[in-house]
Amino acid sequence: MVKADTVGEPLVHISDFRMDFGNQVVIRNLAFDVHAGETFGFLGSNGSGKTTTLRALLGIYQPTAGTLHIDGKVFEPSDGARLGYLPEERGLYQKESVLDVMVYFGRLKGLSRKKAEDWSHAYLERVALTDKAATRVDKLSGGQQQKIQLGVTIMNDPELLILDEPTQGFDPVNRRLLMDIIDDQKRAGATVIMVTHQMEEVERLCDRVLLLKNGTAEAYGTVEDVQDSYGGTVIRLQHSGPLPASDLYDITSAEHDRAQLAPRAGTDEADILRELVQRGVAVRSFTTARTSLEEIFLKVYGSQNEPARA
Amino acid sequence: MSRHNLSTVIGFEFFRTVKKRRFWITTLAIPAALAVVFALVIISNQSTSTTAAAQKNARFSFTYTDDSRLVTDTLASTYGGTKTADSARAIADVKAGSVDAYFVFPADPVTQPVHIYAADEGIFQNGKYDAVAKQILVTAAQQRIGSPQLAALVRGNVTITSQTYRDGKVFGGINAVIPPMLFVLIFYVSIILLGNQMLSSTLEEKQNRVTEMILTTLNPTTLIIGKVVSLFIVGLLQMLIFALPVIIGYLFFRSSLNLPSVDLSHLSLEPGSMVVGALLLLGGFILFTGTLVAVGAVMPTVKDASSIFGSLMVLIFIPFYAVSLIVSDPQALIVQIFTYFPFSAPVTAMLRNGFGSLTPLESAIVIAELFTFGFIALRLAVYLFRYGSIEYSKKLPIRNTLRRRNHA
Repeated sequence: MVKADTVGEPLVHISDFRMDFGNQVVIRNLAFDVHAGETFGFLGSNGSGKTTTLRALLGIYQPTAGTLHIDGKVFEPSDGARLGYLPEERGLYQKESVLDVMVYFGRLKGLSRKKAEDWSHAYLERVALTDKAATRVDKLSGGQQQKIQLGVTIMNDPELLILDEPTQGFDPVNRRLLMDIIDDQKRAGATVIMVTHQMEEVERLCDRVLLLKNGTAEAYGTVEDVQDSYGGTVIRLQHSGPLPASDLYDITSAEHDRAQLAPRAGTDEADILRELVQRGVAVRSFTTARTSLEEIFLKVYGSQNEPARA
Repeated sequence: MSRHNLSTVIGFEFFRTVKKRRFWITTLAIPAALAVVFALVIISNQSTSTTAAAQKNARFSFTYTDDSRLVTDTLASTYGGTKTADSARAIADVKAGSVDAYFVFPADPVTQPVHIYAADEGIFQNGKYDAVAKQILVTAAQQRIGSPQLAALVRGNVTITSQTYRDGKVFGGINAVIPPMLFVLIFYVSIILLGNQMLSSTLEEKQNRVTEMILTTLNPTTLIIGKVVSLFIVGLLQMLIFALPVIIGYLFFRSSLNLPSVDLSHLSLEPGSMVVGALLLLGGFILFTGTLVAVGAVMPTVKDASSIFGSLMVLIFIPFYAVSLIVSDPQALIVQIFTYFPFSAPVTAMLRNGFGSLTPLESAIVIAELFTFGFIALRLAVYLFRYGSIEYSKKLPIRNTLRRRNHA
């Protein structure tokens, strides 16, 4: 199921990674690479070990075993000027003004005060928070704080952007805004590692994905590879009359006049259409598509008992 | 980059502290209270001195009897007094209001009270009778002695200077004790003022969930050193603000406040004890700072950390319970324990240094101990913050955190 990645020199390299908390093995023998310029979806259910892996990669946790490298070496905070990290556990200095917090982090990431201030004002304008520059962070709504935190994450134009559930807590409008901002970073050449449960975002943005289950890689490769591994093509059908069972396909969903069929191995879509017509089904619409990541996600994690630790 | 980040952290931490309204309310409360007290003292002193002068020179009619034979008629008459031989009549005259007062000077005014019978003029004005009776006796005694110099000596108006020797060298006495004792004062003020802030300095990152952002941007050592330095600057600012009203009061209102004149030129600065005192202060400050920051990194909230802070406070005050022993018998077992136990060592050693009973060898051992434990505490604080503060809402299991490193 897991495919090796051997293309080029990776920006992020993880191999033989194991993480124990007490007697509990949270991650075992995890290995994957992320290459410069690609957008990588790091997927998994709650508690599968995604955040733990990111924290170990960034030196926040000490790994029990394994190699976790960024640009060929273990991450040090002094490399922070090249990194943008939006952690799952959100937080900013609550009693300070928005501008003070942004400038502080900008300065820590190597920007001059002037550049940090100019960048902050421009960003606040983009996310419609211009009038909040002097407002204390704790006076902002949760969504507004998220926008500020994303700004703090990307203000140094990072080479590597690690986003742990970036759209968490956003409404659809702001989610679109945020994804546009991430898209901009990607176009500017940033390598993006993204943890999210929004599968449509993954399909839209990610080049490759890894599905983590119980601390091990369940699937790893390009989005298409993973889709092919978990069902490949599906047929979406609009019809009238009863839908007969067949050796050529499985009916994965059926509701009124709509159904989704999964072709069995080696079966051609044209054979299925012919079979349906021959058996008297009035086919009004017959389209083929890849299995969505959301379906794959449900298939992989649907019956899983969630471990206690993230 | 590291130095840039250190100055950034110091600036951010300092300015966000001094920008808080609560900081200024707390800091200005003490000088404001001092200013109010000083104003009351000035007003009270002015009123008291005016009243005392008025009472001492008050003119009223009185009769007197004098069994001491000290008071001459001439002296009594200058204050408006007339001698009488009939006590009952004199009291009756006072009651009738024909004279204001009747003084009974006893045979021995030193051991027997002077009785006064007088017309009531109110609680405050009645003081004039005491003042005049006393002034009459003082003047009478001075006249009997016959020499202003002898009279001054009798009153104990004598200035004495002394010079003592230790190991063949001049010892400054109390003037040599005062300067090194200032280090004890600075130590107490800094720990009391800054202790809670040291404790909560890293808690803030945890409580605000900023730890991960910080740990991936900034070396934790830089963060903690930056916080400690900014706290130190804040402490200096607070001490300056606290001292300001005292300095202003002394320089401009000394006579109004009845403050004694302090001649600093008499203070003796012994280079050895001053250097030892400064090193003990610095070592003690590093030890307590490191310990408090480490406690802050372990505990999830300020409330949880406060109980440990209380214990540390006890340890810096406990040497004062043995201060008489520290002065009289510095080799006593309990004094030795306090001298070498890290958390009671700074105060005990600074006291002994001030009193001159800390030998060079003992100084060297305690200073080395304080710096060693101080840097260990700071290193531990950095380590606990780095690998422990991610446990945002839990008390950190130190053993697990330390063990985790060995697995890596």
